[in-house]
Amino acid sequence: MEKSSKLLSFAAIVLLVGGMFPVQAYAYLDPGTGSFVLQMLVAGLLGAMLYVKLAWANLKLFFSRLLSKSAAPESLLDTPEEKPEHKRQ
Amino acid sequence: MAGAGNGVLASSFRDPSGFLFIENDTLYRQVNKVYQQDYDLLINSGLLQKLVACRLLIPHQEVARERIGTDAAYRIIRPDIIHYISYPYEWCFSQLKDAALTTLQIQKTALEHGMSLKDASAYNIQFIGSRPLLIDTLSFESYQKGKPWVAYRQFCQHFLAPLALMSYCDVRLNQLLQTNIDGVPLDMASCLLPKRTRLKFSLFTHIHLHARSQKRYADVAISPAKRKTARVSELGLRALVESLESAIKKLSWKAADTEWGNYYAATNYADAAMEHKKKLVDEFVAMISPAPARIQDLGANTGVFSQIAARHCDTVISQDVDPSAVEQNYRRCVDSGEKGILPLQLDLTTPSPGIGWANAERMAFMDRISTDTVLALALIHHLAISNNLPLPKVADFFRQIAAYLLIEFVPKSDSQVKRLLTTREDIFPEYTQQGFEAAFMQCFTVVRQAQIESSDRVLYLLRRSDGCR
Repeated sequence: MEKSSKLLSFAAIVLLVGGMFPVQAYAYLDPGTGSFVLQMLVAGLLGAMLYVKLAWANLKLFFSRLLSKSAAPESLLDTPEEKPEHKRQ
Repeated sequence: MAGAGNGVLASSFRDPSGFLFIENDTLYRQVNKVYQQDYDLLINSGLLQKLVACRLLIPHQEVARERIGTDAAYRIIRPDIIHYISYPYEWCFSQLKDAALTTLQIQKTALEHGMSLKDASAYNIQFIGSRPLLIDTLSFESYQKGKPWVAYRQFCQHFLAPLALMSYCDVRLNQLLQTNIDGVPLDMASCLLPKRTRLKFSLFTHIHLHARSQKRYADVAISPAKRKTARVSELGLRALVESLESAIKKLSWKAADTEWGNYYAATNYADAAMEHKKKLVDEFVAMISPAPARIQDLGANTGVFSQIAARHCDTVISQDVDPSAVEQNYRRCVDSGEKGILPLQLDLTTPSPGIGWANAERMAFMDRISTDTVLALALIHHLAISNNLPLPKVADFFRQIAAYLLIEFVPKSDSQVKRLLTTREDIFPEYTQQGFEAAFMQCFTVVRQAQIESSDRVLYLLRRSDGCR
């Protein structure tokens, strides 16, 4: 469990010292500091994994398009906010 | 505007966005002005329409707010009626699992519409028959890019932890939800779960590591200003929700051959008796006039007789003490698309109490059941002999809850009663058909009675006497 403690400490440093992009947050629930820290860590890790997974899928789509000469596929990494006309995968 | 104070529901106080209240026997929800932007976004983004169309969110009608509500009101809405409120500690494994997946499906849909769930309470989910849906229309907030999911901890405590405990330890651990109104504490879940669950990535992160993180930062406060600097990318949030969904989907529980789940196969119930009993139940329920809107089937087992009762009313609340029987009942309802039966877990010897603030947030069983038509088939010997309840006390209990009572008397000559008495002394001289009738006729009158063929059992349709409520 030592490793997990170090990971959590690292996440806390990123969270507390990072001071990145301000985000408004009003909520009646207390998300809990520990839950907050862990969510950043886990979402960061899972988000990176999902990014790689979607990028790989995009790559496969690109080559299949190249081979089949079909219409340009949509990027799986796009979000609706960026391109609202795209369907989510 | 009339004040809404007197009619505010006892459970409706946590969220400043609004509250539920009753006026002239109608349930309304006040949307407060502080929630105006989010409420408008819910409608204008198309999320409300989408969720209602997918039957994931309770439909509602907006009503004029001149005469009802408080000065803080932005809108007053009238949600559709839920016929029977149930709680997570009364749900079987698959019900809690389906409620969890519904919550995550709603969160995914909300994100697609630029909104996010601001809470993930299991109490916000109710069942219409076997279909779970969200009943709190004010559970949404505008999604701000980079903002973590504020309800992550609550989701893990209300859904993931109890489901993991039910799956890996004991299915009866759903009862922990009755003593922990905000879900199972994650440190407790982490202690109780077997060590092998640490090898499962999703359970390791969302429960074990989560519990450790909560302990590590228990005394560390993050100021609102610093919280605003915290970011979770939208992709990360999507991945988090999908990870939770995957974790929930992987959890399973196989309904074992328990005493009750296997009851009909294991008893020497003659086929003829069973068929005749079904026929009588059908006839007796059809005689109740006016036809009941709702029937409570207590001791319903896997719901065989609930299915018959469902032909004559809108909803049958099909309750049994055995988790396996309730699980089988629920899965059958889901598989068959049955809409009129709500299976629930209930120990009638200690029914759900009122819990939460002032014992009033979550209602006691006795406060939810009154004025129903009640089925009590093959139940009385378990109350009178297994639980040592004198027959007058049993009769008094049913008097409180049943306008019409369809009850089966199972005499000592019956094999099931003999079985109960094999391991104990018979201290029940009053447990006879005459004793039964003497106790119940104090407050009921017989509408009809019939002997069940090929058995010594007697089925009664009783009506509560005037003035006995």
